[in-house]
Amino acid sequence: MPEFGVERDLAVYNKLLDVFPKEVFVPRNAVQRMFNHYPRQQECGVQLLEQMEEYGVMPNVETKVLLVQIFGKKAHPIRKYQRMMYWMPKFKHVNPFPVPLQLPEDPVDVARFGLARIANDLDAKVTVYQLPCTDITETGEEITIPHVVGIQSPSQMELLAKHNPNKPVFVEGPFPLWLRQTCVHYYVLRADPPEEKVEEPYDPERSLYYPLRLDVDFGRDLGDEENFDVEDLDEGPVFAMCMTGRGDQATLNQWISGLQENNPMLGQVPTLFRVNAGPQELSASADAESGHAHRPDTETRSEEKLQRDGEPGVIVEEEPQRRQGRNQ
Amino acid sequence: MMNANRLVVLSKYFQSGQRLLACNVRHAGKKVQQVQQQRLFRTHCRQLAYAKDLFLGLLNKDEVFPYPEVGKEEQDEINQLVAPVEKFFSEEVDSAKIDREAKIPEETLKGLKELGLFGLMVPEEYGGLGLSNTMYARLAEITSLDGSIAVTLAAHQAIGLKGILIAGTEAQKQKYLPKLASGEHIAAFCLTEPGSGSDAASIQTRATLSEDGKHYLINGSKIWISNGGMADIMTVFARTEVVVDGVKKDKISAFIVERAFGGITSGKPEDKLGIRGSNTCEVSFDNVPVPVENVIGEVGGGFKIAMNILNSGRFSMGSSSAGMIKKLITMTSEYAATRKQFNKSLSEFGMIQEKFADMALSAFAMESMAYLTAGMMDRPGLPDCSLEAAMVKVFSSERAWICVSEALQVLGGLGYTKNYPYERYLRDCRILPIFEGTNEVLRMYIALTGMQYAGKIATSKIKEMKKGNIGLAVSMIIKKAMSRTTSSVDLGLTGKDGVVHPSLKESAKKLELSVTHFGWTVETLLYRFGKTIVDEQIALKRVADVLINLYAMTAVLSRTSRSISLGLKKHDHEILLTNTFCDEAFFRNNYMLVQLQKHTPENDEANIKKIAAAVFQNRSYICSHPLDRTF
Repeated sequence: MPEFGVERDLAVYNKLLDVFPKEVFVPRNAVQRMFNHYPRQQECGVQLLEQMEEYGVMPNVETKVLLVQIFGKKAHPIRKYQRMMYWMPKFKHVNPFPVPLQLPEDPVDVARFGLARIANDLDAKVTVYQLPCTDITETGEEITIPHVVGIQSPSQMELLAKHNPNKPVFVEGPFPLWLRQTCVHYYVLRADPPEEKVEEPYDPERSLYYPLRLDVDFGRDLGDEENFDVEDLDEGPVFAMCMTGRGDQATLNQWISGLQENNPMLGQVPTLFRVNAGPQELSASADAESGHAHRPDTETRSEEKLQRDGEPGVIVEEEPQRRQGRNQ
Repeated sequence: MMNANRLVVLSKYFQSGQRLLACNVRHAGKKVQQVQQQRLFRTHCRQLAYAKDLFLGLLNKDEVFPYPEVGKEEQDEINQLVAPVEKFFSEEVDSAKIDREAKIPEETLKGLKELGLFGLMVPEEYGGLGLSNTMYARLAEITSLDGSIAVTLAAHQAIGLKGILIAGTEAQKQKYLPKLASGEHIAAFCLTEPGSGSDAASIQTRATLSEDGKHYLINGSKIWISNGGMADIMTVFARTEVVVDGVKKDKISAFIVERAFGGITSGKPEDKLGIRGSNTCEVSFDNVPVPVENVIGEVGGGFKIAMNILNSGRFSMGSSSAGMIKKLITMTSEYAATRKQFNKSLSEFGMIQEKFADMALSAFAMESMAYLTAGMMDRPGLPDCSLEAAMVKVFSSERAWICVSEALQVLGGLGYTKNYPYERYLRDCRILPIFEGTNEVLRMYIALTGMQYAGKIATSKIKEMKKGNIGLAVSMIIKKAMSRTTSSVDLGLTGKDGVVHPSLKESAKKLELSVTHFGWTVETLLYRFGKTIVDEQIALKRVADVLINLYAMTAVLSRTSRSISLGLKKHDHEILLTNTFCDEAFFRNNYMLVQLQKHTPENDEANIKKIAAAVFQNRSYICSHPLDRTF
């Protein structure tokens, strides 16, 4: 069915069920009922229903009527149907972050959706820094300009504004994000966690109405401590994310310069690009694959230092390395 | 009596029952101490700690019993002042017109100025009436008949010129107060900005010293300024650069700014839901030159001044709400007694009777609390009644809203129309829980001030407990067991030295029990949360509510005891009101105190937080529609 693209079509399943002759497989007396009447046919029916369940197709009344007519009221397929009708509604909305069945065609829209999904923040704003288009230069060559879509929320902007200009920020990626059958890659702008937590000094003249801090010596009781140690691990702030069509230096530079419009601090902070080569086609030779399969990733990283004052610099030495991983 | 003594002795021996012992001893000790203090330290100012001591489970009955009285001459003076004001308000103030046109007519303002209502608390040497807090509260009862006028007057004198009054130099007072008291100039209080409501750190208005060092230039804008459009003298709060210990800091200072200095523009008046006659607008300052002599207090000391001004004007809301509700009761009961349905007048139906009883109780409690606070503030010395005033404000504003709503309900559809003044009262009342400190913020203030006080005193004991002192732990367990068995506690309100009249014995017992229970709960909360209690707003809200109820009960008991002892008119009705009020308050307190315990089913804090978190994550209502299907 997937070949024809009808695996999620209920009408097709019903038509398939219609192929069975009616009332032939229905057991007529107690002995027939005891001995699994027409077992292979019942298995076939059950397998059809299983495929429906796998693709998340809810059977309807027509299915039930067909099943009853074909197999009778107490056969395995009808039991399977009853179980499906009990469990499938309960699991239908169990995913709090569902991916729609039909992803949009436009890569910019896919990027928008993917970034919003990762950020999971209603304040975050998605900006399209560049739309994809194909240009034809004077020499007749086709140049494709990839799309660049970035996301940043106001709290991230504040964090970036407070970032210490002596510490560098890193552009890391590409990280894969799977949306059903498609894999998109995103890049992250982040920094290392600050060494000492700077606590704002208590200003007793801050609140006009009530004291913001009590002058009492003891803290919270053990039984009421609600901090878990797991959350104490600080991975460092993430300032923005982006998805592009092509993950090379030029495109990422474009993203950073686009970000700089709203975050002037980026102009003063050194930005390091820790970018992998990105996904590539599987190479033809399988032995080369098995040979290089376990090479560590660090060898493939390329780093580059940027000028402190100006626009992000230029050339990267990338070592195109063997990639394992599914092609997109 | 013998049993109690034996118990006390035994408990002393076993190091348990500290609480019971401490209660009685501390109370008796305090009395002795106070007497001694009166003999030795005459100039020592009294520390008013009635509400704060409630947090420790102590009742300073000397502060609130007997109910504060005014002398005979003062009462005559009050009556003399009250009569013309009442006459003015009933005859010459057309509230409907003020509401419709969103403006107070000039003649009305002139009449108010002639009555001297613009300088009630200004001392007589500056041209004001020099009234005490009690008299001010009495007059507030009458001015509240029209909400817009009440707010205009309050913005002028309770906050507008208060700064000059409490912190101004002699020169400033001489210069400004006479004109302000006569009403020739109107005052306004400019603190709030678009980005700064309660947070003083986000005030953006700046005051920079000019080169010659003689002027400050103020730049910025303020919003929601009452009387902003017609004020001539404003108290403006702006950031100034101050050098503190060699470090340059930005601190807030208070300035007296005259409109005549130039550079001040008022926006157009806001179109409000209620108090439409009061002028509220945005005020912008553009390089306004303010002479250095116009700084109130010292440069950088504006924060304290702002707090003092805000804390001092609140108590009058109790008496003004009470006055309004009394008028509403008159109007509404007239209607309820005459309107007939099913051959019975409305007043014979139980639900209507309940509404009126609620209104009467509210008015009774409000005015008792207001005058008790005003009386405490009027006592010699400089008492700090900010906590009590905040409690009066919270209680009155919320009850007033409910009562006006109920009064409108009694009239039904008629109350909803503009032909009757109820909808105007309702709209005017809605601002009460919002201005002069929103009720939420004031509840935090009430709870945290008390917690700070209790924390300071109980610190050593709680530290001992946390260290794991076994003897102390055992004593705690015994005390908890005893608390469950004793159903009454003696704090000295009734009995031999009792200050409450014996007719009110039941209610007094309830108050005592509530106070003790409250003290224990506060201690438990401090033990559980310590400093971080600042973040536990739901628990603090309950604490504040309990305290407000306790204070209301005290006020009501105190006033009724005095009424009975003097034989005032209808004092038996007051006994009835007191007992009913105390019953209700006691019951509510019990529920709230149970809600504050950690593992009770009534404590739904965690659930509330979860629901709110889910709503904020989606910023909408997240449940599926009841008509949705999955298949």
